[in-house]
Amino acid sequence: MLDEAFEALKKFDWGTDVAAVAPIDDAVAATHGQADARRDLEQRLVAALGGKLSRDAQDYVCRKLAIIGTAAAVPALASRLGAPHHSHMARFALERMPAPEAAQALRDALPKVTGDLKIGVLSSIGARRDKAAIAAVSGLLSDNDPSIATAAAHALGAIGGAKSAQALAAARPSKSSKPAVIDAQLACAESLLAEKNEAEAMKIYQSLAGDHQGRLVRLAATRGMLACASKQG
Amino acid sequence: MLRKMIDRWMVVGVLLALSAATLSHAKLLAAEPQQDDFVQMIVQLIANPDQDFRAAALEQVRSAAAGAEATKRFAAQLTRLDAPGLVALLSALADRGDVAARPAVLNLLASSRDESVRAAAIAALGKLGQPEDLPLLVKALSAKSTAERAAARASLTQIRGETITQSLAAELKSASPDVKAALIEVLATRRATEELPTFVAATVDDNAQVRGAAMAALGQIGQPGQIAAMLPGVLKAKKGAERDAAEKNVALVCARIANENERAEALIQAVDAIDPAQRDELLSLVGRVGGKKLINFVASIATGEDAARRKLAIDALSKWPDASVADKLLEIAEKAHYPEERTQAFQGYVKIAATRDKRSDRQRLDRMKQAMTVARTPEERSLVINRARTAYDVETLRFVLPYLDQPQFAQVACETIVELAHHREVRDPNKAEFDKALDKVIQIAKNPVLVDRANRYKRGETWERPAKRAS
Repeated sequence: MLDEAFEALKKFDWGTDVAAVAPIDDAVAATHGQADARRDLEQRLVAALGGKLSRDAQDYVCRKLAIIGTAAAVPALASRLGAPHHSHMARFALERMPAPEAAQALRDALPKVTGDLKIGVLSSIGARRDKAAIAAVSGLLSDNDPSIATAAAHALGAIGGAKSAQALAAARPSKSSKPAVIDAQLACAESLLAEKNEAEAMKIYQSLAGDHQGRLVRLAATRGMLACASKQG
Repeated sequence: MLRKMIDRWMVVGVLLALSAATLSHAKLLAAEPQQDDFVQMIVQLIANPDQDFRAAALEQVRSAAAGAEATKRFAAQLTRLDAPGLVALLSALADRGDVAARPAVLNLLASSRDESVRAAAIAALGKLGQPEDLPLLVKALSAKSTAERAAARASLTQIRGETITQSLAAELKSASPDVKAALIEVLATRRATEELPTFVAATVDDNAQVRGAAMAALGQIGQPGQIAAMLPGVLKAKKGAERDAAEKNVALVCARIANENERAEALIQAVDAIDPAQRDELLSLVGRVGGKKLINFVASIATGEDAARRKLAIDALSKWPDASVADKLLEIAEKAHYPEERTQAFQGYVKIAATRDKRSDRQRLDRMKQAMTVARTPEERSLVINRARTAYDVETLRFVLPYLDQPQFAQVACETIVELAHHREVRDPNKAEFDKALDKVIQIAKNPVLVDRANRYKRGETWERPAKRAS
């Protein structure tokens, strides 16, 4: 059944009956908790990805690797990060895989990709909350492309923590990326508050409470300060 | 503008200074000084002219910085704010629920002339008040301001304490009629069943407002044991709205007896205890309570010798809560010797037949068709076409449709068709048939609202029925 499904995968494309590849879905579920069987399945999926598949079939394989992929699948996925049509689904898998190699692959790809692909990689780094990427991401806060600077700010906000907050505070954002930087600072403060680091959170809120900020930012900062103080009190 | 900026700078400055002080030495400071600074932050923000900033502070007043000391400091702001600020803070203090705020609330109530502030202070006493605040709240029941009266009523319903109910009942004795009525409503809402005898006594009060409140209270929490005692109240109620309401409240208490026969028996016993000369006045009530056991009794009066009693009995049958009397009413209508009795019984039959009770829509429609076959005058036929709208069925459309072609019934038929079309569950499965009928309505209806509704229903749109005006 599974062999037939992998054969069917070679002809799988938009509009094809998904029932033909359903045994692969079943195998993903059935191999839960069976390391050897999972490894075999992963190897077959990675091998299939290296073969000649339609774009829809490749996307299908990436979805399965997002569930069962390990470090072994990372090179095949990482090689696709620079390809406009395949980068998105490669990130979809790498974002969700617990292997640290997946995070490393995204960090490695960051200086190599450009434009929308770079924005996508930044988004995935943020989704993984990859603290090891803070330095690399921070460097992009001053990127000439405001979309990339904005994406970098969002990524740092998603990663959260004191180091991200420091990088954001040190940034000299352009007018267009400034709102994203402030949002990210508030997100960092919230993550610090959740980690019970009220003192660091308060510093961020204080920096945003001044009259030079917009009303809504000051309001958010004030609410944050009250939340910090109430936890301290 | 300048003042706003200064205020804003002041608040932000205080926040920055205080929060820095609080947190830089957070681990060194004892719990109390930290809380002190936090309370100070909130206090400063409460006075912020921007209501969103104020709301952020009030959120903390509601739930944070526990303890009477903090409550007192928040409550102390009740002397410093403008009216909207005071109202918001009073609400937050009430939600905080700490009675330490009570003295400040009482002081504000004593000194403020602003209606909204006074109402908010009275409302806050519902959660913060003590039994000794009852006289003040009772006095507020007769305040000139509607908002204050409503707040007092809500607070008296809400205020906690073991002696509250007794004290309110004691206040009843010396209260003016309007306050007495309000107190009865409060006691009923508090479900003060120990005061049922007090309510019963008030059902024959000389003041209609008090009588109405007492009857309503019994309708809310009265027990079958009070049915007999409520009947003098029904008789004392003025005919019209007050009598109708009194009867409905007795019917509500009767409905608490689940068994239909036992319910009828309880009412018969209660009526038997009334002076025979007044019993006929209670026929209407008997009709509202209903039940098979009472049908023949009332019907025998409706077909008896005494014309005045016949009228009362037909009226009673027309108020029956279900369609079990429909055949009896039709029979009375058919055999009536006097036109006015025929009209009264026929109208009662159509009313009962149209009642949306447990019968199916098809059963309701069958009754309407039966009424149409025995209808004698255009008025009677028009009534049937009108009430047919309570049978939500496409067959009703087919029944009414031919009357669009008869000028004397065309307008009422338009109304009924539009009302049927209002019900999407009837209209949508029969869209082609309804569209055709609605096209005809659009063509002949004189009422522009009907034309508008017909167009809307054709387009699959809805129509919002205007709210009925309060009487």
